[in-house]
Amino acid sequence: MTTGRRATAGPLSDLRAVLAIAGKDLRSEARSRAATVATVFFSSVTLVVLAFALGRDSDLMTRAAPGVLWVALAFSGVISAAQAYQSDLADGAFEQLLTLPLPRAALFLGKLLANWFTMTVLGAVLLPVASVLFDAPIAGGVPQLLATVTLGTLGFAIVATFYAALTANLVARESLLPVLMFPVVVPVLLASVRATEAIVSGADPALAGDWIELLAGFDLVYLVVTSAIFHIVVEE
Amino acid sequence: MSGSEAAAVELDDVGRRWGRERVLREISLRVAPGRLVALNGSNGSGKTTLLRLLATRLRPSSGRGRIFGHDLVREAAAVRRRIGYLSVQSGSYGTLSARENLKLVATLVGADPAAVDSALRRVGLEPHADRRVRVFSSGMKRRLGLARLLLTDAELWLLDEPYASLDEDGRVLVDGLLDEAKRDGRTVLVVSHEPERLVGRVDAAIRLEQGRLHAVPLQARPRPEVPS
Repeated sequence: MTTGRRATAGPLSDLRAVLAIAGKDLRSEARSRAATVATVFFSSVTLVVLAFALGRDSDLMTRAAPGVLWVALAFSGVISAAQAYQSDLADGAFEQLLTLPLPRAALFLGKLLANWFTMTVLGAVLLPVASVLFDAPIAGGVPQLLATVTLGTLGFAIVATFYAALTANLVARESLLPVLMFPVVVPVLLASVRATEAIVSGADPALAGDWIELLAGFDLVYLVVTSAIFHIVVEE
Repeated sequence: MSGSEAAAVELDDVGRRWGRERVLREISLRVAPGRLVALNGSNGSGKTTLLRLLATRLRPSSGRGRIFGHDLVREAAAVRRRIGYLSVQSGSYGTLSARENLKLVATLVGADPAAVDSALRRVGLEPHADRRVRVFSSGMKRRLGLARLLLTDAELWLLDEPYASLDEDGRVLVDGLLDEAKRDGRTVLVVSHEPERLVGRVDAAIRLEQGRLHAVPLQARPRPEVPS
């Protein structure tokens, strides 16, 4: 035997596998830009069109900003998730990965990490853009807003990564993915919108904190459940 | 094919359905460790399905199977630590280079990173190591699949048409890997549409016809004369 494979079991090797899968996905996306171009274009158009439509009423715009921001993020996230497994499926690369001694949960967490990172970066970019376009003050609540974006995109990415795997081999995956995932991800989106609203309005800082805690709770439950059952999704 | 120790491959009445279609029917097979077995059969006879089942990618619809004593379904993770699977597809990421593809596999299986370069050298891809795989020919992709197989350093190789798309140098490379596998005591199940190439190299041959397994004698077919 030629290469002397090391023992692969253990948390450290699992963490290494998670990072390797995430790194592979981010490197592939950086080179192909398959999802980046579509998500940036779609979210920009959403923000600009809605800002234009609501443009005469600054009070209405400020109130609409949290909802518009999360609509743009959610629909961009679906586009990104639909692409998440396409490079894996081409040429049987995912099939090959699944024959390696790699925990299914590590594979899922690696894909999730890459999706989450992409969505968080998009959220961090859209946040100031939406603030300017919709005249929504964010300067006083930047740390809380970043926490909301981070946790909201995490919850969304967990559900999106899971359902994208479920639909990856289907012909109608683009239409089925949002139909299946949105009913599940609605609690995350509502909590994200409410938290953002509370921060932007500045009315009740404690209320924002409550919504952020609820978001963290949703994320934890979704993460545990999807990691535990991901192996069912990828077995044939 | 028998032995007192745990068989490398052991299938008892294994069947597999795709919807109503029965692709594999009551397959029973026992391969002792260290044996090289050729698996032949016409297109659609179930060869790839059988290999995918042994590689834990498909669950049997009926019957049960074990690899080195580990149940294919209940102990799939343990099975994956013992197998190396070369599929008919390239199994590589086109947006990554050959080296990046192998580094990924090395990380996932816990192989020594230094083994990546030696695997690339072994399959003749060292000059192309940093080119993206999407520009590779199908023969180069097959060589990359062989390099991946070397990295996994498995005890059981499941090879689905390893000679496909390869030039003569590549075919000689596969011959060498099979001979080396035998010397190293690996067990190999190899699907090929070129049974004459495997004569003298494998210990036994089996044939799948319409999902049923048959033993076949090892016979050399005369090779065509090629003028020098």
